[in-house]
Amino acid sequence: MATEPLRDRAIVPKQQRRRLQQKDWAPYVFLSPMIFFFVVFFALPIGFALYLTFTRWNPLSTPKFVGLKNYTYLLTQDPSFYLTLKNTFVFAFGTALIGIPLALIIAFVFTLSRGKPLWRSIYWLPMVTNVVAIAYIWQFILDGTYGLVNQLLSAVGIVGPQWLTDPQSAMIAVIMVAIWTGLGQNMLLFSAGLEGIDETFYEAARIDGANTLEIFWNVTLPLLRPTILFVSITSFIAGMGSFTLILVLTEGGPIQSTNVTALYMYQMAFQDLRMGRASAMAFILFVIIFIITLIQLRIFRRGGIEEY
Amino acid sequence: MGVQKRDTLSIILSIIKYTVLVAGAVIMILPFVDMFIGALRTPAERLARPPIYWPRTPEWSNYGRAFTELPMLRWYINSIFVTCVITFIQLLTSSMAGFAIAKYEFKGKKFLFNSVLAAQMFPFFLFLIPLFFLMRFWPLAGGNNLLGLGGTGFLGTYTALIIPFMITWYGVFLMRQFMMSIPTALMEAARIDGASEFRIYTHIVLPLVKPALATLGIFVFIYHWNEFIWTMTITRTANELQTLPVGIYLLRGAYQDAQGESLYQAALAISVVPLIILFLALQRFYVRGLATSGIKG
Repeated sequence: MATEPLRDRAIVPKQQRRRLQQKDWAPYVFLSPMIFFFVVFFALPIGFALYLTFTRWNPLSTPKFVGLKNYTYLLTQDPSFYLTLKNTFVFAFGTALIGIPLALIIAFVFTLSRGKPLWRSIYWLPMVTNVVAIAYIWQFILDGTYGLVNQLLSAVGIVGPQWLTDPQSAMIAVIMVAIWTGLGQNMLLFSAGLEGIDETFYEAARIDGANTLEIFWNVTLPLLRPTILFVSITSFIAGMGSFTLILVLTEGGPIQSTNVTALYMYQMAFQDLRMGRASAMAFILFVIIFIITLIQLRIFRRGGIEEY
Repeated sequence: MGVQKRDTLSIILSIIKYTVLVAGAVIMILPFVDMFIGALRTPAERLARPPIYWPRTPEWSNYGRAFTELPMLRWYINSIFVTCVITFIQLLTSSMAGFAIAKYEFKGKKFLFNSVLAAQMFPFFLFLIPLFFLMRFWPLAGGNNLLGLGGTGFLGTYTALIIPFMITWYGVFLMRQFMMSIPTALMEAARIDGASEFRIYTHIVLPLVKPALATLGIFVFIYHWNEFIWTMTITRTANELQTLPVGIYLLRGAYQDAQGESLYQAALAISVVPLIILFLALQRFYVRGLATSGIKG
């Protein structure tokens, strides 16, 4: 439009010509806030953070250039970095591995049941609850002596662990809470996928005499494979970068047993004030997540799901 | 015989089905119930050994005391103010950008849309440090000079809680998806009638995407009402700016005795209830939004 030949312009009435020009620059006006925020609150911070990874800086001084020292320190010397990385993977894997089959089962029975709005409201409660409330609700429940969980366990003669205060069980407890928090979200994604399955598949299976369980194994699961992949991998990636729940629940303790890399990064930045090293850690974690994302895209492509 | 067997089996499966659903529902609700009950316990009931689970004399006053002993009202006002401003701005910026990408042809369109998609892949933890110092060293704000030195920048102001969240990449994407379906002929007709592009946006496009705006609005509202890590980082030392989750979190140390725990659980309950009510009232929009965002993407 912008390169329209002049002679064409001459025959277009004046008012309409003005309109055409307005149509040319209007999108940029509509986009200007987004572009401004993209530059100032996205590109600039990323660039600044990348610069910081090559410096030593506590905010009271001026940044001192140290080359790759932050990276080499983290990868070869830091006493906790690999431990937190391992915890990150355990947390993300554990949450996905247990949480997703659970969500799938619940979503399956949910789509077959009556009273959907009621069930949905119940399962989605954690989705609208703030992380502080979630964490403290569970701290009370998981209290080793007086918590509801251990009281129920002792009623059937089991001595429950100290959950959040025992390094042996803290990670399990944290994963349990994370699964509880994410169940509604995953269930929702699955039920959307389940509703997308054509009813004729089920009818055909029923005519062939299949029961609910057989339908689940032989019809639902294969047809739902794209959704299962999508939910598994997005929830794994989200798990890799999440740390606020752990921050409020355990602050990474006891003795680092639940400390994940993102939380370690946060503590290093805002408690130890080592901005350069913390930025380097953020970038290492980001690169790991990014690689996993790329692998995810490959799996999706191979699975024949082009639209992702 | 065969039919009868079939019937028994389907009854059994139906029982299993509802057992699973009910068991799950109990696990989902029980923690909230535990919180509401806990808020009613008296100190004596907490100190009894073994402690008394069901409060014999429910201490309803704990809910009132949460408002008088904690700056609950202040946190509420902050939460409402910050969340509403962010929601309004995000709806505006993402509907404008989504409109431009969906309904105009211009140079760099594909690049821009891909950037929006790519931006969603950057996790928030990457931005915590640089955004913090962007707020701190913002030029000519809070006593800063042109180079951003000398003052405190936006730290200690509402601006720091709002300005990094003025756009949502996900929102731009969602609006674009919805606006793709608006017929271009409608816009052309308006143009011939002499409507300006801005008028087309306000009078034709926005009314047509109202449901999408409602969906996105609820998402954004819930997300930012519950936003914790950024607000906590920024307002750790600025009490008067704290929102509900942050304020409650930072006061945790003072309420760990038998007296305080009930009060604390009451405060948690009060922070959760408004969103539950809002969510139940607007569930319809929420369902649709999540369904379209998650899979159809």
